[in-house]
Amino acid sequence: MLTKKGKYGLKALIHLAHMPAGQLAFVNDIATGNNIPKKFLDAILGELRNAGFVQSRKGKDGGYRLARPADEIKVGHVVRVLDGPLAPIPCASRTQYQRCEDCNEATCQVRHLMLEVRQAIAEVLDQRSLAEMRDIGLDDLARDIDDRPLAVKVQA
Amino acid sequence: MSRRANSIIPSSIIIVGGGASGVVMAAHLLKSANPDLRVTLIEKRPHFGQGIAYSTLLSAHVLNVSAAGMSAYADDPGNFWRWLQGRGLVDPEQTPQTPFYAPRSLYARYLGELLDDLEAREQPTGRLRLIHEESLAITPTASGVEVALANGTSVVAHLAILATGHDEQPAQGHAIRMGSEADTALDPESRVMVLGTGLSMVDAFLALEQRGHTGEIVAVSRRGLLPSPHRKGNPIKLDVADIPLGTQLSYFVGWFRDLIRENQKAGIDWRDVVDGLRPFNQKIWQNWPASAKRRFVEHTKAWWDIHRHRMAPEVYAKVTQAVQSGRIRLVAGRVVGITPGEAFSVDIQSRHSQLVETFDVARIYDCSGIVRDISTSSNSVVRSLVDRGLARPDPMRIGLDVSANCEIIAGDGTVSRKILAVGPLTRGTFFEIDAIPDIRVQCARLSKQLLG
Repeated sequence: MLTKKGKYGLKALIHLAHMPAGQLAFVNDIATGNNIPKKFLDAILGELRNAGFVQSRKGKDGGYRLARPADEIKVGHVVRVLDGPLAPIPCASRTQYQRCEDCNEATCQVRHLMLEVRQAIAEVLDQRSLAEMRDIGLDDLARDIDDRPLAVKVQA
Repeated sequence: MSRRANSIIPSSIIIVGGGASGVVMAAHLLKSANPDLRVTLIEKRPHFGQGIAYSTLLSAHVLNVSAAGMSAYADDPGNFWRWLQGRGLVDPEQTPQTPFYAPRSLYARYLGELLDDLEAREQPTGRLRLIHEESLAITPTASGVEVALANGTSVVAHLAILATGHDEQPAQGHAIRMGSEADTALDPESRVMVLGTGLSMVDAFLALEQRGHTGEIVAVSRRGLLPSPHRKGNPIKLDVADIPLGTQLSYFVGWFRDLIRENQKAGIDWRDVVDGLRPFNQKIWQNWPASAKRRFVEHTKAWWDIHRHRMAPEVYAKVTQAVQSGRIRLVAGRVVGITPGEAFSVDIQSRHSQLVETFDVARIYDCSGIVRDISTSSNSVVRSLVDRGLARPDPMRIGLDVSANCEIIAGDGTVSRKILAVGPLTRGTFFEIDAIPDIRVQCARLSKQLLG
């Protein structure tokens, strides 16, 4: 599952991917523009810097920018750094494995299917670059409206 | 959509280089049922399947990979094991799980017989042709490729696969290659120097030992590290979902160290962690930014190599005993000066103390094993491709730049559809592609890609 941390991190990177090459973005602008709590964003950007996805400059004119072109950064690579191993459920991870207290793995069909889902998650996220995600057009986003939960649609 | 005439499946293929990777490539191509297939294998040495790694006749030179990992076929891991068994070369009680490090000369025989069998089988079909000759150059033509041979003739095909293996670059400066013509008889008590402390140094030590040499061996490398021994184990199971890809090197190394530490706490040997990563090594390499690759080659590779490329436990025991007895002296440092004379006087600056120590040695062997620059390759085919702009070195210059589909990339960035490469030449793209377990997978994939 993508956590809030993962989601905020991706939003911040999309923000940076919109900046002209080499130009720095202020943390405050990223936070207000994407509705991310500033303190949380600082921590997220720090982790992204350690992993080598963004660079920062301190001081009055300081801020963040992408460390590499947006088409060289894969979405799955970022998610692993922020959220850890890709897995739809903790019992379907190898390195961050957690046993389910309430079921028997040997007979659990749910887990079996979730292992397949794990592969699918990696396949989708490792194929898509930050640039591709940034360039998802408004048409595609409009089509997603149909994907909203039923209750929301009824209200709309 | 109907198939256009120019998109036919290539049916004639020339493999340039009949060493281990060339033979493994041919074997995988010939698994195809296509009756129109024509495979031509060209090798300059008198025997096929030997190359640099497997031409040694010394019984002390054993494989660094256990027999179960050495089958020529990616989809039949037991092939080499059954060959050994069929000839009574392993104990009947031994199972494929028992670690067994066969002499490399035996492996050359395996590949030689495998090719003999293929030749006999394909005799009536004419699908395999072997040529003993040196290849000089590959030239793309309108319909395919032409390979010029040293005897003045040439052969043509739809496409060519380079399988020239490790580069035989001449030794540097005053150093010589072990077993070369310059490696003449030596006073058995004389002190010698070996540049390098890796697996090639170990080979040199074993060869000197077998020749009856008893003098001191001074082995020098930047860090003076000795490769680790194998130990029977079970590689841990990892998944691509676990592995941080595309990060900076320091982040990845931190993750990997933590992973080893956690597993060690659970009583698991570090080797099982290193080996568990193996299926993903190429993916990790390919996703690293250029800066991480460069940093890895410069700083981390020496450590990676001694943990990843290990030696048989019996060999390790012999080497460590020689180090303890003073027969081998490991020195971490660099050569800062060589004065030739009756003997060589070599100045080594220590990595740690920065002090310069002088060693008088009768001979200097080059076992550094580093590809210095592929564009200065001693292989005429490779060099001529680079000289004419048909190929270019990879960004690290450790091999030729190739696509993920093994196609060579020209000086102007064009991806060739007619000239491909396998094995160590492709290490800039595939990273660990020196050993049979990796080469056979690459050959199987390429064969499928070309012939379906």
